[in-house]
Amino acid sequence: MSRELISSVMLEPGTGKAIELLAGQVMRIEQIEGNQCVDFNCFNLRDYKEFMHCGRTRTLHGINPTEGSFMWSAPPRERAMAYILRDTVGANDVMFPRCSANLYESVYGLAVHTNCHDIQSEAQREYGLTPDDVHDSFNLFMSTGVREDGGIYVRRQDSKPGDHIEILALFDLLAVPNICGADIMKTSNFSIKPVKVMIYQASSEDLAKVPPLPAPVASQRTPANFKIRNIKATRELTRDPDYKPAFTNTPILYQEYPIELSEEEVAMLQAARLPVYGDDDGAALRDIVFSWWEDNYMGKPPDK
Amino acid sequence: MPGKTVVLKLNQQQIELLDKTVSRAGTPDREALIRRALREYSAKHFSSPDPRKKAAPGAKA
Repeated sequence: MSRELISSVMLEPGTGKAIELLAGQVMRIEQIEGNQCVDFNCFNLRDYKEFMHCGRTRTLHGINPTEGSFMWSAPPRERAMAYILRDTVGANDVMFPRCSANLYESVYGLAVHTNCHDIQSEAQREYGLTPDDVHDSFNLFMSTGVREDGGIYVRRQDSKPGDHIEILALFDLLAVPNICGADIMKTSNFSIKPVKVMIYQASSEDLAKVPPLPAPVASQRTPANFKIRNIKATRELTRDPDYKPAFTNTPILYQEYPIELSEEEVAMLQAARLPVYGDDDGAALRDIVFSWWEDNYMGKPPDK
Repeated sequence: MPGKTVVLKLNQQQIELLDKTVSRAGTPDREALIRRALREYSAKHFSSPDPRKKAAPGAKA
């Protein structure tokens, strides 16, 4: 596999870098010493209001996405922004938020300390973005899990020198990797170290690895579809006196739909009903109908 | 256990999905779809003699 190296940069502890990653380019983030978490954010280079959304990504790929996962933008765009071509460790996280100055001050009493939010802010400032424009990070090389009680936790990690993640841009991005500032937590094994970032032109083999994506659908809206198309330019929020609500499909109206069940069907309903519905037969049957739908059709493209 | 009339309360969006599924599932109408859903869901998840001893389906998680 031959790739053309376009550029490379060493991210030193406490720093990050905003890098234009154009469609068809690969960002390789590589461990130097090992055991270093890297926060990763990205924006649509042509419209910064479209940005990588951990929630959407988490929904589709789970809490620890790895090789073969996409990074998705937020609603209403919901487009695949990037694809993880290679991940030699397989320990990433999309549950935890970026660490912040407040965390270090309130928990550790350190009013000034390296933290992912401020590092991201400073890196993306090169492109005119403000601290309010930082969004939740895709946390690379961060080993996390969920306890039985639902709590979430961070483990020490075990990445080695040379371990790497390769991210392919699917359209023009501003990609912002930063060295996680957490040197007093397990995240990077209680230290903070440099990481190397390289940008390549993807090879044909790279591009061939990307699985086909669903065709765009009408609900993936762009600013051209918005009722307000311009980005708000003032900080104060004031009411639009001409505002008229236009919520989708409202009013939501319920109608009663009686159905005569046979003795056998009543027995089925009684067997399958859930306690949460008490003696409400209609709600219990409705749950069964839509649960059946999920069993049979969820994840399958709808008929046109 | 005698038969009985059960009243589903469905909103316009839920009805839209059911009606789209009628043709997809090859059932003649909405009522037939509901009966099929009940029959298949019950058979899939609650076919043991004591259905309460079966694990709840994942869709309820």
